[in-house]
Amino acid sequence: MTNVSTANRTAPNQASPTLLAVEGIGIRFGGLKAVDGFSINLPRRGLYGLIGPNGAGKTTVFNLLTGVYQTQAGRIFLDSRNLVGLKAHQVVAAGIARTFQNIRLFPGLNVLDNVQLAGQLHAREGLASTLLRTRRYAHEESEIRRKAFELLGLFGLQERCLEPATSLSYGHQRHLEIVRALAANPKVLLLDEPAAGLNSQEKLELAKSIRHIRDTFDLAILLIEHDMGLVMDICEQITVLDHGEVIAHGTPHEIQNDPKVIAAYLGADAATV
Amino acid sequence: MRKPNPDTPFDSPTPPRERGLLGTLANSAWPILLGIALAAALHYFWPLGPGWLYYKKVVLDVGIAIILAVSLNIVNGMTGQFSLGHAAFLAIGGYTSGIVTYYGSILLWKSTDLHGGVLGPGAWLFVFACLLGALVATAAGYVVGLPSLRLRGDYLAIVTLGFGEILRVVLQQTNPILSPDQLDSSSLKNWLPPPVGGAVGFNGLPTYTTLFWVYVFVALMLVVAFRLKRSSLGRAMISVREDEFAAQAMGVHVARVKVMAFMIAAFFAGLAGGLFAHESGLILRPLDAGFLRSLDYVIMTVLGGRGSISGVVLAATLLTVLPEYLRDFDQYRLIVYSLLLIGMMLLRPQGLFGIHEIWDWRPRWFTRKPQTRSPSNEKRGAA
Ligand SMILES: Nc1ncnc2c1ncn2[C@@H]1O[C@H](COP(=O)(O)OP(=O)(O)OP(=O)(O)O)[C@@H](O)[C@H]1O
Ligand SMILES: [Mg+2]
Repeated sequence: MTNVSTANRTAPNQASPTLLAVEGIGIRFGGLKAVDGFSINLPRRGLYGLIGPNGAGKTTVFNLLTGVYQTQAGRIFLDSRNLVGLKAHQVVAAGIARTFQNIRLFPGLNVLDNVQLAGQLHAREGLASTLLRTRRYAHEESEIRRKAFELLGLFGLQERCLEPATSLSYGHQRHLEIVRALAANPKVLLLDEPAAGLNSQEKLELAKSIRHIRDTFDLAILLIEHDMGLVMDICEQITVLDHGEVIAHGTPHEIQNDPKVIAAYLGADAATV
Repeated sequence: MRKPNPDTPFDSPTPPRERGLLGTLANSAWPILLGIALAAALHYFWPLGPGWLYYKKVVLDVGIAIILAVSLNIVNGMTGQFSLGHAAFLAIGGYTSGIVTYYGSILLWKSTDLHGGVLGPGAWLFVFACLLGALVATAAGYVVGLPSLRLRGDYLAIVTLGFGEILRVVLQQTNPILSPDQLDSSSLKNWLPPPVGGAVGFNGLPTYTTLFWVYVFVALMLVVAFRLKRSSLGRAMISVREDEFAAQAMGVHVARVKVMAFMIAAFFAGLAGGLFAHESGLILRPLDAGFLRSLDYVIMTVLGGRGSISGVVLAATLLTVLPEYLRDFDQYRLIVYSLLLIGMMLLRPQGLFGIHEIWDWRPRWFTRKPQTRSPSNEKRGAA
């Protein structure tokens, strides 16, 4: 367990700047091409955005990347390891963790346990040592607990660690989702609309936290968000999806001035641009 | 890099030190040693006399019911997989251990009479038989656990129910029991299917089940259940119950967790089956594998609470003791249980205690503010 701490993960490999390489993945549901030919290259410490009108296929991209759905074409490489064909729990272990658009915390577990659950991912001790309560087991468990508690400090949730997860305010539940994903010690963090339902003050703080997380944990972030202000503010590169296809990719400045993007948004949701 | 918070309420972690088997036992075995001591005390201080014999039987029944209900709760309560076939594991454990003690006694000692005292050779044969029965039940638990990977809710309930019912019918087709004299002249025809009494039941088993052994196994069950509940595996089980999809996304190997839950539960149900089969005044019958008996334990877990070990212990005790005092209760048992089940589902679906233990409950004015509590003083439960 000790070697998976965020601090001493192996230094960035300069030879390959791309951490997550995605090439032409897609899935159809019946006749509907939910995602088609989606590609993205996410570098180490990159903070990229994924936007698009409602139903464009953004969440489906996350589901494809995390093994919830199996891609019907294309390739996914994380640190040059092929992820296609892995099951969801194996993908997390490989280093991609996510949050959910519609918060999915475990109501029957308290705040700390929600985080510990993700933190125990790399735990080694088996049933026998669990039941015998060996010292190794106790040590491993207390390490998971300590790290989880430490992570809760990111959003000031430590005082509330023994409360049921669902007793938190909506904003705090969104924070807890992020902390829980971080506890899995990912290389890539996928955030699905983390600012949804937050007020503008909370959004500002969230933007700061996201940058802070990227810097301190040395990971790459891919962010789905409808709030254009937030996306344009913090993302280095943005990919735009419409009807399952990538219609643009570039810096926030390029995206804002891309006629295809403007058309897609005017057609669907003019107010958000 | 983040500095560790100096106010962290954790003791600084001690580096893991390799301990020998003895060291581990000394440190982690005390709850079970305590349990053995209590079981021995119960056994030896139990008053003699005809009146007490009846209470003794009730207390034995309570212990066996506790093992069955608490083990079922690992599947139904903690992992959220609705099993209606728990009695099948009881029957598997009971019949397996019965074959070993009945025919083993005849082979070893030429009769099925008790051989030796509480820790005599006969008792050890009995304990060995119970453990063997538990292992066979565990294997069955693996098989029954597999459908839970694909089926959910009602469908899984129907499959587990079907398993118990099939086993009940199969047990009815078994051969008559062989007496010591018949054993010598028996041929393969008598042994296939096994001679465990068919529809009549497996009677004549040596009655090795004592207060001591029942409560040793109760202690073992409780230690395992509490340790499981407060462990990574227990947390994973609860996450599977709450939201399988999210659990998977957090790295939980859902299939493994479900099958583990079934196997652990089946092990203890098999163990309890051994105790049940060798209790005096009881005959192990094919009916004991069926739906009606499974329902008894489901009611106990529903009443006690999804995942509340102490709640389920209380419910198992009440539902075993009360019928003894209500005359003719057996006639109305099914009606009462059904009403109880419907009432619970409507009024308190989480069970009397929900996921909390009895000692978690305090009057509201008594509870401290959550802010003042830190994780380090949360280490309650049995070790
Ligand atoms: N399991 C599924 N079965 C059938 N259709 C699906 C499934 N999952 C997604 N879809 C469809 O795929 C399309 C893309 O959905 P997705 O949830 O990815 O959109 P989104 O971009 O995340 O939208 P939003 O901004 O509303 O979250 C939608 O038309 C949706 O109905
Ligand atoms: Mg979405």
